[in-house]
Amino acid sequence: MNAPAPLLEIAGLRVSSSSAALVRGVDLSVHRGESVGIVGESGSGKSLTCRAALGIVPSALHVSADRLVFDGQDLATLGERQWRSVRGSRISAVFQDPASYLNPSLTVGRQLAEVLRVKLGRRRAAARRDVVDLLDSLGLRDPARVATRYPHELSGGMLQRVLIALAIVERPDLLIADEPTTALDATVQAEVLDVLADLRRAHGLALLFVSHDLAVVAQVCERIVVMRHGLVVEEGRTADVLAAPSHPYTRSLLEAHREYGLDRLRAPEVVHV
Amino acid sequence: MSDPIAELRNASVGYHRGTPVLHDVSLRIEQGESVGLIGETGSGKTTIARTLLGLTKIVGGEVTVGGRDIARLRGRSLRSFRRDGVVQYVFQDPLRSLDPDIPVGDSVAEGLDVRGRIDRRVRSARIDETLRAVGLDPALASRLPGDLSGGQRQRVAIARALILEPRLLILDEPVSALDAANRVHVLDLLRLSSTERSFAKLFISHDLGSVAGVTDRVVVVYHGRIVEDGPTHQVIADPQHPYTRLLIESAPTLDAAGADRARRAQLREVVAQSGP
Amino acid sequence: MTVLPSTRLVLRSASARAAAGILIVVALLAVLGPVLAPHDPLAQNTATILQGPSAEHWLGTDALGRDVLSRLLAGSPVSLAAALLAVAVGLVLGVVPGLLSVYLGRAFEWVSLRLMDTLIALPFLVFAIAMTALLGNGVLQAMVAVGILISPAFYRVTRAAALTVARSQYVEAATLVGASTPWIVSRHVWRHVLPAVAVTTAGVTGASLVIVSSLTFLGIGVVPPDPTWGGLLATDLQYLYQRPWGPVAPALLIVATVWALNALADALRDAQTARSNRAVADHDDADSVPADASYPPASSPSPVTSPEVVR
Repeated sequence: MNAPAPLLEIAGLRVSSSSAALVRGVDLSVHRGESVGIVGESGSGKSLTCRAALGIVPSALHVSADRLVFDGQDLATLGERQWRSVRGSRISAVFQDPASYLNPSLTVGRQLAEVLRVKLGRRRAAARRDVVDLLDSLGLRDPARVATRYPHELSGGMLQRVLIALAIVERPDLLIADEPTTALDATVQAEVLDVLADLRRAHGLALLFVSHDLAVVAQVCERIVVMRHGLVVEEGRTADVLAAPSHPYTRSLLEAHREYGLDRLRAPEVVHV
Repeated sequence: MSDPIAELRNASVGYHRGTPVLHDVSLRIEQGESVGLIGETGSGKTTIARTLLGLTKIVGGEVTVGGRDIARLRGRSLRSFRRDGVVQYVFQDPLRSLDPDIPVGDSVAEGLDVRGRIDRRVRSARIDETLRAVGLDPALASRLPGDLSGGQRQRVAIARALILEPRLLILDEPVSALDAANRVHVLDLLRLSSTERSFAKLFISHDLGSVAGVTDRVVVVYHGRIVEDGPTHQVIADPQHPYTRLLIESAPTLDAAGADRARRAQLREVVAQSGP
Repeated sequence: MTVLPSTRLVLRSASARAAAGILIVVALLAVLGPVLAPHDPLAQNTATILQGPSAEHWLGTDALGRDVLSRLLAGSPVSLAAALLAVAVGLVLGVVPGLLSVYLGRAFEWVSLRLMDTLIALPFLVFAIAMTALLGNGVLQAMVAVGILISPAFYRVTRAAALTVARSQYVEAATLVGASTPWIVSRHVWRHVLPAVAVTTAGVTGASLVIVSSLTFLGIGVVPPDPTWGGLLATDLQYLYQRPWGPVAPALLIVATVWALNALADALRDAQTARSNRAVADHDDADSVPADASYPPASSPSPVTSPEVVR
């Protein structure tokens, strides 16, 4: 399953502000077509790690890495102009709050069409058709109607799928998803995760998925990386890590889920609260 | 059977874009019971809570809390009912539900202060005692909410609700904003405190998994109606309504074998047909 | 309980410190002015008319031989008190209805809003002149008139702040434990309204001083020979050729004071913004974007803050 060289390779990543070291030496790799999950709480540095791979770490912070390579290309030395040819077409991303990434005064279809025209050179009419097809491929019911809606008229789950559509329009090799379903209802979360899984299968998309929820990551990813306080404390194949966690923090996450998650109900005794 | 601490009988609440927000809802919460109220955004679960708190008026049916018909209460009688502190509410976002310019100790004691003059030492003692009960150092009473962490703030919000010794505590997504460690602490805390004081709890959530471990009973709301109501382990083992089944199938579990995408897609279709 | 930002935070910038310095001097002038005056401001001396600055008369003399410096100093408390009086009137007439409009129901709200809209439409000077014509020429009447016209500024600011508070979750939390409206106002509303009112007060005082000066320049409000800054600007206009430096001192005083008040208002507002930004930033974890970038809170279903399309 693993290609000889990883698609994304991060080694010794460090991100710090003037007062604190936020990411303190992180190693991470994603192979072509693989799904890797980063689990960690707020403050663990997981989001900053992703931002480093996209070149969007806030300028007030200082970033350094021994290796930050994507498909043989050194990302650390890229200028803003060069980044623009990487983002979207090679590496793409979706984030937590979909509404804030869309222009509220344009319909969703128009924003998608704009990307198709600008980035893929489609003509107007063709772009409109492609938009509907794209939305359809993401499991949105009545995609033609959705395309005519403004962002505030769509639910969180629909918006997130629109953003995923935007992200995969250029068929990138890697999709980075930073807490994409955290703000969504449970049933909607499942839908979006299903959509991501379908996309991965259809396009061989590699996925770097970040969440604070161990169960979500476990469901979506083949490999897990556990982060805490700016460092990787555990990593490995999902099944292995879940079966035999070596780090106490990972164990506490598992315990928490077993204690208060749905799995508990599989156990015979029910706690009276 | 003793009287329930709270009851909705055929309650309906107004219209929002053509659909009734709550339609003919009946719900009983027994003394000391722990109930989970599950539903998606816009399902009506928050409206049910607000009805029990007297914040939302019902247009049909009855709502009784602590033996009193609260639909009839207005102005002074409503305030008096609230000062009795029979039912208390923990907001979802402790950051916004605490006045940022007031020390948390005063926010916690607000329920006591509105009742009238209270001896300073008694007040201090109550604040300290309640903060300790939620696992916080009493010294934090003089701090502002902005100085505390998210987990600490959530506990302050719970303390504020508990200080009045309510018989029904309504918690709105109490742990969704918290990370794993804090989640466990807060849920443990809630589990513990009810054995000491025996009050009923109503957990509102969109996520069945997060309340499954702390509730005796689960009620599922969909499009303003109650579609499922039963003991937690029973509902999860043998759900009746397709939406409940979808909820269960949607919850991420650690053994990925439990997840079946085809079944979920099928359930979604069924649920979409069943509609409001 | 820090309702207003700390002095250090407010006086962070050089302009704020300069403004504070100027205002301290002005305040001293207001209090000690008449005492410090070397000559009797009303003493005329036809022998020494229209003289330039000299050792005897630091700012020279006017057309009636009166010492200009003494007149300037003596006029300080009058001008400043008049400006402050107008602000005080405006504050009371604006803040109280502003608060009440949030809590007294639709009818009051509608009436007060329309009233304020009307007041805003009226031109200051014309109205002030009309008031003095009606009630007699005096500082009190003129400044009350100005105060009435200034009140909409306070009304709007108070109402906006009070509305935000009234709709906040912490006020809803207080309601749920049985708090009455007076309780909520005295416990929660005032402390969130005060900062905005403070900023408005500083700015409005500057405007009020300009209006006072304009009125006294036109001879309205203060009866000669009592000196005022605006009046001093006006006197000897016909002798401008002989005494071109005449208006400089009073003009400088007025401009400096108004500038300082506006700079203080800006500094107050900046300090408040900085404080609330820092409070938000403290809640952020290391993962989030730091304080200097705008931060949309993830938990609230908030409207779009910055339109960026992710490609």
